[in-house]
Amino acid sequence: MRAVENYTFSAKAEERFKKLETQFPERESLVLWALHLVQEDAGYIPPSAISYVAERVGVSRSHVQGVISFYAMFHDKPMGKFHLQVCVNASCWLAGSDELEKTIENHLRIRPGETTPDGLFTYNRQGECLASCGTAPVVQVNADYHESMTPQKLETLIEQLKRNS
Amino acid sequence: MAAPLEKRIILADYGKPDSHTLSVYEAGGGYSALKKALISEKDKWTPDAIINEVKASNLRGRGGAGFPTGLKWSFVPRNTGKPTYVVCNADESEPGTFKDRVILEDLPHSIIEGMILAGLALESGQGYIYLRGEFYKGWQRVDAAIQEAYAKGYLGENILGSGKTFHLATYRGAGAYICGEETALLESLEGRRGHPRLKPPFPAVKGLYGSPTTVNNVETFAAIPHIINNGGDWFKKLGIGNEKSGGTKLFSVSGHVMKPGVYEVPMGISLIDFINETAGGIRPGKELKAVIPGGSSTPVMTRQEAMRAKLDYESMAEIGTFLGSGGMIVLDSSTDMVQLTKRLADFYAHESCGQCTPCREGSKWIADIIDRLIDGNAVEEDLTTLLSFTKNMGNGTTICPFADANVMGVVPIVEKFYDEFLYYLEKGKSGEGK
Ligand SMILES: Cc1cc2nc3c(=O)[nH]c(=O)nc-3n(C[C@H](O)[C@H](O)[C@H](O)COP(=O)(O)O)c2cc1C
Ligand code: SF4
Ligand code: FES
Repeated sequence: MRAVENYTFSAKAEERFKKLETQFPERESLVLWALHLVQEDAGYIPPSAISYVAERVGVSRSHVQGVISFYAMFHDKPMGKFHLQVCVNASCWLAGSDELEKTIENHLRIRPGETTPDGLFTYNRQGECLASCGTAPVVQVNADYHESMTPQKLETLIEQLKRNS
Repeated sequence: MAAPLEKRIILADYGKPDSHTLSVYEAGGGYSALKKALISEKDKWTPDAIINEVKASNLRGRGGAGFPTGLKWSFVPRNTGKPTYVVCNADESEPGTFKDRVILEDLPHSIIEGMILAGLALESGQGYIYLRGEFYKGWQRVDAAIQEAYAKGYLGENILGSGKTFHLATYRGAGAYICGEETALLESLEGRRGHPRLKPPFPAVKGLYGSPTTVNNVETFAAIPHIINNGGDWFKKLGIGNEKSGGTKLFSVSGHVMKPGVYEVPMGISLIDFINETAGGIRPGKELKAVIPGGSSTPVMTRQEAMRAKLDYESMAEIGTFLGSGGMIVLDSSTDMVQLTKRLADFYAHESCGQCTPCREGSKWIADIIDRLIDGNAVEEDLTTLLSFTKNMGNGTTICPFADANVMGVVPIVEKFYDEFLYYLEKGKSGEGK
């Protein structure tokens, strides 16, 4: 994880940003991209990154802040190492997402929006359909989809993540 | 392997190992349409000729609205002195819809070839693919395919020595359903909050960075190479119903069927045959109850309506619903329609962008009333209120059609399955609640 006190892009993010700068005729377009790069570096958008992104892109801090607050995927607070998102939209509900929610609440003893005390897991209900309805129910863990889930498979996954951390 | 009734054109390579790579795409005839348009038949394929071929195909936008693609392209002015942009809408987030994800992850080169051809038609030198942020794997696949296409000379300056230029880059959204609406998408692509724009002007004239722009769906672009290769007339006649709904179409089917998944079938086949044969039928011991045909924003069909429906734009309209994105949710006799409505109402309440009062407040009210009903705190007036204020939520009172989408998704469930909503009222009164 990157230092968050005085955030600057990692070397890899810097390289990607330089390429992105050539792809968009207007720099404002770089706001979302820059925030994605920050979040890949730091796991969330630390306060110091807001000024940094504003300066690198050339927009105001309030613009950057406005974008962060609009989009659900940008987090302005640290997250657990593993972010579990259970899709609760129609097709996942038909396929038993309620049981997955119970599994997480019983197994990790956290409610939606909470993080386990050891900082490993954050759990959220995902109201937006994840376009995985044919392999419902689905749990997204960080960038990865885990499809056709069952309570059993979810428990196993959680144990695996604990062991590998 | 194709399922019963399937006719695979766009999905021809789906399921083959490494279908996302350039070599597999080329082995299946990939980029041959581009080579025709740029080299072997370059005198034939003027911008107007490409647009006319797409018009002749009767291809209609696969993002949900079904607007004829060739006509849409003909609205984009050329020689304005400004650049023109080709934008691919890969925000796919309409509940029940998961067809674009298959193309993005497994067949990304078909989108790229379709976009380059669109670039030739509109004399555009720059395209962008806007993917929803959750599609990380899809983004990686698309990004890798773009690198391959650059390396092979299909993208960039002087494509295949033709003197034509087309650049392509990706953009990632960050979790906002509304960014699928094309003007919200453009706002987002310009680095701002995804607030839909007032129309007119339409993106064709004033789109990305104030320049002429076409925004098309993933599947729409993926169909283009086949139309150039085989002709518009051939594509049009793939449909077996009426010719206004041309081609094959991808349907994503989920819910209570034995074989959920993404299937490509000719336009115009019977809905019930599709459910029973292609998707493996309803679960044993259960009966069909209802079908949401084209994503959560298309009015639900009862069993009776579903029995006589055909999968094309016109037949759906006759029944009072829409083909939409082709995101079909099949519901059997076990489905609790009130609980289903809650899932949809909560979703819309959360995703309204908040610019328009009827939408921002109305979406919340709908969700609140359904919640009260489920908690046993509702009175019958709540339901009549819901049916009354939703009449004023869309119908041109808002900046974008999101409010209409919400109403079309929720209200027909309440109207057509009113008994079940009354049952919850009675349960509430008896103190049983939930
Ligand atoms: C609320 C809302 C959400 C939409 N979401 C999508 C989407 O996720 N993908 C898409 O292609 N079109 C979506 N559309 C339709 C687009 O606005 C636009 O019509 C479409 O991208 C045009 O492409 P097409 O003509 O190829 O269908 C949405 C429209 C609305 C009103
Ligand atoms: S209708 Fe709803 S989603 Fe569309 S602009 Fe208005 S508030 Fe936003
Ligand atoms: S409803 Fe969960 S992925 Fe579509």
